[in-house]
Amino acid sequence: MVRFKSRYLLCEVCVPDRSSLQLLEDRTIYNTLRAAVNRAHGDYGSALFNIGVIVKYLNAHTGVVLIRSRKKHYRLIWSALSFITCLENRGQKVQCFLNCLHVGGTIRTCQKFLVKYNRQQLHRMLPDCKTDAEKQEVRRAILSCSLSNVREEEAGEDGSDDDGDKET
Amino acid sequence: MSVFMDLNIISGNDKNKLRSIVETAAHLGYSTVAINYVVEPQQKKQEIPKPQSVSDIFDKFPVVQGKSSPIKVLNRLTIIASDASHFRPTNEYKSFDLVAVYPKTEKLFHAACMTFDVDIICIAVAEKQPFHFKRAPVNGAIERGVFFETCYAAAIRDTTTRRYTIANAISLMEVCKGKNIIVSSGAERPLELRGPYDIANLGLLFSLSEGDAKAAVSSNCRSVLLHGETRATASGVIYTMKKPKTPQKQEEESPLSKKAKTELT
Repeated sequence: MVRFKSRYLLCEVCVPDRSSLQLLEDRTIYNTLRAAVNRAHGDYGSALFNIGVIVKYLNAHTGVVLIRSRKKHYRLIWSALSFITCLENRGQKVQCFLNCLHVGGTIRTCQKFLVKYNRQQLHRMLPDCKTDAEKQEVRRAILSCSLSNVREEEAGEDGSDDDGDKET
Repeated sequence: MSVFMDLNIISGNDKNKLRSIVETAAHLGYSTVAINYVVEPQQKKQEIPKPQSVSDIFDKFPVVQGKSSPIKVLNRLTIIASDASHFRPTNEYKSFDLVAVYPKTEKLFHAACMTFDVDIICIAVAEKQPFHFKRAPVNGAIERGVFFETCYAAAIRDTTTRRYTIANAISLMEVCKGKNIIVSSGAERPLELRGPYDIANLGLLFSLSEGDAKAAVSSNCRSVLLHGETRATASGVIYTMKKPKTPQKQEEESPLSKKAKTELT
């Protein structure tokens, strides 16, 4: 069986102010990325961008983006990713940068990595907690991290669940 | 063994800004960062600044992403040299962990590669490199273990500087064939930093191979640190440090006094 092999770039949108993440949309990221590829690699880059690149998943709470690209030229797309400085949505500019966390061959491996990564974030959060209630909340969240939970819920729901913890 | 390092964060007077840059670097997974003090002797007798003590900036260093150890912060001095007299190794240089030089002319570049006692040679990023890289001095620098640095923050800021950065980097890579290169940020704001894997991939634009590009943010940086240490110590073989005297004496004394007491009773 022949199929098109892809690479999935799991990226994190880093912004100075977390509340501005709510403005993000799939289309915003797609258009910004297209403009960045066009600027960095010209017509050739745009042509490669038009085949196979798609924003598969966006979590506006945690700022996680999953971008699919053809395996053959994902490095070209990726190199343009680092030149993004701001995202624009409905006239509002958000200063940010994209940080690539993981490159996977399937969505599943990316998902696995994301669960691991978010768990790590919770661990990093633990020493910063001030009250005991917060600590308990984060500990509970760490224990509830597993891929079986993800499979039961929708991937999006897992993200929003995670966000609730981050706000504590 | 590959920990990522970013050996160029431009220092500023604003402590909060510096702190947020270092925090971002820790979040991105850099284990070591160096705060860069740039000195341009050409402009009105500029003095070499005293490096801020690192513990001044932070009470508690942020923990590196994916590791359990806190981030390491070093001090670095960069001298923009347009005349041979600008680089004078004095005692003030010794208070920095790393010393870099940014030669403006071909003669100085040659001297920097062959004789200057430095760890890093910077190349131009915001303008066209005013001279060609010759093979002899570059090979000499590689032999001595001096590294070439290219910064990517300028490439992120602006299109024209991006063109210069890429062009200068490629012309350097042609001569040194991807050896002895480090890629660092040169960031003035936290949003100018990029993740280490992104930078390793950015090496594609600088015509570095995959392995060389990754080495440029990890193992090569480590060699730079070790090279910096050889300046402070006797070629890194012997290292002397002052022994703290007072607390030991007290330790010795206290058991003696106890003994004396026991004898008395």
